[in-house]
Amino acid sequence: MSLRTVPGVAVFGALLFLHGAPAAAQTNLIGYWNPLFHEDVDERIPGPSIGDYLGLPISDAARLRAEAWDASLLSMPEHQCKPHPSTYGFRGVGVLRIWEDRDEDTQQLVKIHTHIAWQEQHREIWMDGRPHPPEYAQHTWQGFSTGSFEGDVLVVKTTHLKAGWMRRNGLPLSDRATMTDRFHRYGDLMTHVMIVEDPVYLTEPLVKTNGFLLQAAGSMTPYPCDPVIEIVRDPGFVPHYMPGQNPFIAEFGEAHGLPREATRGGAATALPEFAETLR
Amino acid sequence: MTAVRRPHASRVTKRCDVLLALVAIAGLAGDAAAQPATPPASPTPPPSPRAAAPIDLTGQWVAIVNEDWRWRMVTPPKGDYASVPLNDEGRRVADQWDPAQDGACEAYGAAALLRLPTRLRVRWDGDAELVVETDAGRQRRNLDFGAPAPAGARSLQGQSTAKWVMPPRPAGGPGLAGAGGGGAARAGGYLEIKTTNLTAGWLRRNGVPYSEDAVVTEYFARFAAPNGDEWLMVTTIVDDPRYLTQRYVTSSHFRREPDGGRWKPKACGAGS
Repeated sequence: MSLRTVPGVAVFGALLFLHGAPAAAQTNLIGYWNPLFHEDVDERIPGPSIGDYLGLPISDAARLRAEAWDASLLSMPEHQCKPHPSTYGFRGVGVLRIWEDRDEDTQQLVKIHTHIAWQEQHREIWMDGRPHPPEYAQHTWQGFSTGSFEGDVLVVKTTHLKAGWMRRNGLPLSDRATMTDRFHRYGDLMTHVMIVEDPVYLTEPLVKTNGFLLQAAGSMTPYPCDPVIEIVRDPGFVPHYMPGQNPFIAEFGEAHGLPREATRGGAATALPEFAETLR
Repeated sequence: MTAVRRPHASRVTKRCDVLLALVAIAGLAGDAAAQPATPPASPTPPPSPRAAAPIDLTGQWVAIVNEDWRWRMVTPPKGDYASVPLNDEGRRVADQWDPAQDGACEAYGAAALLRLPTRLRVRWDGDAELVVETDAGRQRRNLDFGAPAPAGARSLQGQSTAKWVMPPRPAGGPGLAGAGGGGAARAGGYLEIKTTNLTAGWLRRNGVPYSEDAVVTEYFARFAAPNGDEWLMVTTIVDDPRYLTQRYVTSSHFRREPDGGRWKPKACGAGS
């Protein structure tokens, strides 16, 4: 830098200091966050039971697909290393790490990354105002995400998802699903909200919330995954049940004394008046 | 290395120096000119909590129970306290619950009221108190924005103090009016509530306890879904050194209803 420029820079700096209102402070989400399992513990740690669709606004098509699902599918080499889609990963186990990329010259926020340990679910959230790609662009497990701050809340819109699941007991989501998620920070706690829409498998938006606790000193381990032949099967065999043939569908309701009208789900099963029908 | 003299660049730098200095002087002078000759006679009083509200929480909201369904929509079996961080004493008390107590008002205290399948009606009572009523159990919570009143008798809903947590100001813009005060609201912001002076109650209908030492912190946020639905999200944190080993954190979501229909008040009480 030429010495001649110093006075100008100094004046410019002073000008910024005296007059330059900084950009609105954005909530800092950077760090390692441990998921809290004070809700939906059955689903989120051991895993949901077959036939548990309580409170979920699923369509008949979703129920039909789920009842054809055989958990043995997960032992197939093609499925062993499959990550959760971003519509489900935040409900799973594993530390969440959040960091950001800033332009080195302008220090403007370009991208926020989220990474969940299990199956290395790495998501990129573009913060630079770019549009979503056309519909024919590639669909991925994490989808294409853009974000913005709504006051103190990070709001993210995700499209271009691969067909995945809304619950890991076979309840499907289609590749037409989209998600809006919101990150609300309250001190060392964060409430993450997911609003999932799917014209194929949902009759109304599915809203879910997940709690996280910030770690003062976090860490993350890698999650390498190599598929192997766990069970020798005939070529082309895919584990499944034909409609009406799944023997496990009623087990969950029987174990907890819940009627089939409740366990089969549907938007009405989430409303207070549905509870009245069970008393 | 020999320095290369660049006369043109030097001239430009000089011009920049002068321009910047002029701008700075003009700006500072402008500031000085903007200063009032005398201080204002009286400061503008701060807006009331109602006028300052960054979000509008009023209206009727219905709980959408698609989380913890098995512990919220029906009374779980005795001894089912999965995912509640109870200590040994908490488990001992939970194991004393009698199914004949099902429906008792202990299940409708402030620490767990909003986990129940219920509708909420939220309204202002004056300019400094929000009232939250539930049809489940016919409960009423008063969220006071003023200075904490002297603690009275303990109660199921305790004593709640509330404050708005305002969103960050947009860069370069003037302050904007709140959602309750007309004008454009800043996006974001939430309500923080702290509740103490509680009587002992239950975190679940099957007698999972919290003690009168419990402190409940809640955050109320509102947002719109892409389909236009309006949602209220309540994050609830229960601190109870007597029965819990750590904070118990849940979040419950409610969808706004267009009118007051489907409101079915039902009193609490064992056997209800």
